[in-house]
Amino acid sequence: MFLFISVFGFSSCTKDETRAFDQSPDTRINEALTQYGSALTGSAAGWNATIKTGTGGIYHFHFRFNESNRVFMYADINLETATTAKESSYRLKALQTPALIFDTYSYLHILADPDGSVNGGTNGQGLISDFEFAFDSLATDSILLTGRVNGTKLKLIKATQQDFDAWQNGQWADVLAFENINKIQNYFKRVNIGGVNYDLKVDPVARTIVFTWVDGSGNLHQFITAYNYNASGVVFDTPFDTGSQTINGFEIVSWDAGNFVLNVRVNGTPATIAGATQPLKVDVAAPQRWWQYAINNGGLYWISINGFHVNGIEDGFGIKTLPSYYYLIYWPAYNPGSNDLFAPVFINAAGNGLELLYGAAPNTPQFTADGRAVFTLAGNYGPYPSTGPAGLSRTQLLIPQGYYFIQTGPTNYDMVSASDAKAWVSWEF
Amino acid sequence: MRFIKSSLLFLFGLTALVSCKKEDPLDVENITGLGGDTWVKTPLDQWLYDTLVVPYNIATKYKWDQSELDLNKDIVPPDESKVIPVMSSVKRVWIDPYILQGGEFFFKKYCPKLFVLAGSANWNLDGSITLGTAEGGRKIVLYLLNDFKNKSMPGYTPADSAIPKQMFHVIHHEFGHILDQNIRRPVAFDEVCKGLYTADWINTNDYAARQDGFVTAYAESSPFEDFVEMISIMLIEGRSGFDDIVNSITGTSVRGTTADQAKARLRQKESLVVNYYKQAWSIDFYTLQTRVRTAIVNEIY
Repeated sequence: MFLFISVFGFSSCTKDETRAFDQSPDTRINEALTQYGSALTGSAAGWNATIKTGTGGIYHFHFRFNESNRVFMYADINLETATTAKESSYRLKALQTPALIFDTYSYLHILADPDGSVNGGTNGQGLISDFEFAFDSLATDSILLTGRVNGTKLKLIKATQQDFDAWQNGQWADVLAFENINKIQNYFKRVNIGGVNYDLKVDPVARTIVFTWVDGSGNLHQFITAYNYNASGVVFDTPFDTGSQTINGFEIVSWDAGNFVLNVRVNGTPATIAGATQPLKVDVAAPQRWWQYAINNGGLYWISINGFHVNGIEDGFGIKTLPSYYYLIYWPAYNPGSNDLFAPVFINAAGNGLELLYGAAPNTPQFTADGRAVFTLAGNYGPYPSTGPAGLSRTQLLIPQGYYFIQTGPTNYDMVSASDAKAWVSWEF
Repeated sequence: MRFIKSSLLFLFGLTALVSCKKEDPLDVENITGLGGDTWVKTPLDQWLYDTLVVPYNIATKYKWDQSELDLNKDIVPPDESKVIPVMSSVKRVWIDPYILQGGEFFFKKYCPKLFVLAGSANWNLDGSITLGTAEGGRKIVLYLLNDFKNKSMPGYTPADSAIPKQMFHVIHHEFGHILDQNIRRPVAFDEVCKGLYTADWINTNDYAARQDGFVTAYAESSPFEDFVEMISIMLIEGRSGFDDIVNSITGTSVRGTTADQAKARLRQKESLVVNYYKQAWSIDFYTLQTRVRTAIVNEIY
């Protein structure tokens, strides 16, 4: 009987004694917030920050936090963000865990902005990034955080005065000159490294580079890597092993705006990235493959939303300015055995269907032995305008040199002017 | 006996042990975030306090607080530089005209007390965007602040007028709800378009809705929304703008309403709104309309 009593006695009294922590949750969270706060504001030269967005791009920031809830930042997103420090607001808050919130618009929000026109991402989600972060860990020189909505990782490393100066002196802005590569007006951007020619294709939104080259036996090869920046140049996520050397990135020297040439250094050796008028290796069968694909797959047509890219300008003829314009089409064998159709397509007045107002009727293209398609005009459907965006597009289509075709996806082809590679149109099926 | 005694002792001991735990109330200490977020005040906070809190008790939340917005959407906070221009416009287009017509006491009593500001739009799954929402007569959320421009800002083009106009539409719409909830709209209003209200309003457009005698597609959703859409559109378009809307109706609607019937319905609803403002709130609607429209023209045209 006494045994019973003593057992009860123990079990009910122990409740009082056990506490997993010495202090209450409120005390501990207040302590944590104070600790994080003083760490953030404690670095005189600020913090170097790296974020990897949900779309895969890596971006660098420089943050300086002060004790009045203000943060000053630079970012390698574009020339402006790399040059001008922007002031905005931040606060620390106990959400489910201690959290750092960048609570008014800053450069960091550009990545998370749901408006695709701001950052090149998809409408509704942007580049899939965050500006409200939970603290994961705190060390003397580094803080790791995780975004609370999209789970992006933000890494802060204590900056030195030198790091801060690199932003202030415009070194990062100089490096962003790499983005000028897409101002080169030719479709093909070429660099010679160690005696081998490489064609480069750079997507500045996804931050990826594609290298294309031809080996000794005449076979095409490709290497794709994501890239990001550091204070002296472009850094490849995956180093490029060319066989004779390993390339970790490009050191950016200068952009020659007059000649459209980007001067770089590769492993210390100067190199130039400049336009080229022909692919390294022509895909001879591509034009016919493109033409036949539409016929074999339901007798349908190829579309292009933006029309021709001309002399460095997307939609260079302004075809999207035509009222009710929907897309530009090329319809192989529109009139089987006789002619094709090339025309802008419009939304009808009721807004519930598409209509053709006029069209050009090219002959079946002539597929040359060297891999070009040449278009000639058989006639027109309806009153095809001879001037304006539609007229200019038709004139462009009919250039006597014709076009090279570059397959960019299972149902995507770029049709590139064989005259100077400064005009092209991207067809999708 | 002995057995009973020890049982009693046991029970007693148990009770004593259990109750001995109750003694201390919880140790209340510094609870984080109790009383709301705090930060070091800036001139912007001071401006909002002086301009909207002190005179009207209206709070403006411009710093990010996900709990005030859709939790499953990607939305970003506003740029600080846009807050004063937007709230000044709101004051000129909504607060000032109502105070001049209805008096300060009226306005302070009924105005919604919280504005939440967002920098981007609220993107819907169908690709459309929401530019403003409101809750319970208390809170109004304004989106797309970062794209806000009015005539006084550099680089303004007429195409920029769509965003501020939509903001003003939302505010006047929501304030209409508050008035309706305090003094109900006339019963006769609900009779005018009885039988034409539909949950399918989302699949129609303003043009088709007008052919049935509704000022916007959304007005078709219920008499409740119809009433405040009438108020809002009449105020932001002005009297001649509303006349243009009515006169633009042609043809017979899908549901068989003739243009004359549609026009008559809109005119009937217009006069019911005007009477309601007079009788319920002693406000001359047409004068209010002139003031609001003049303010909007000064903002964006």
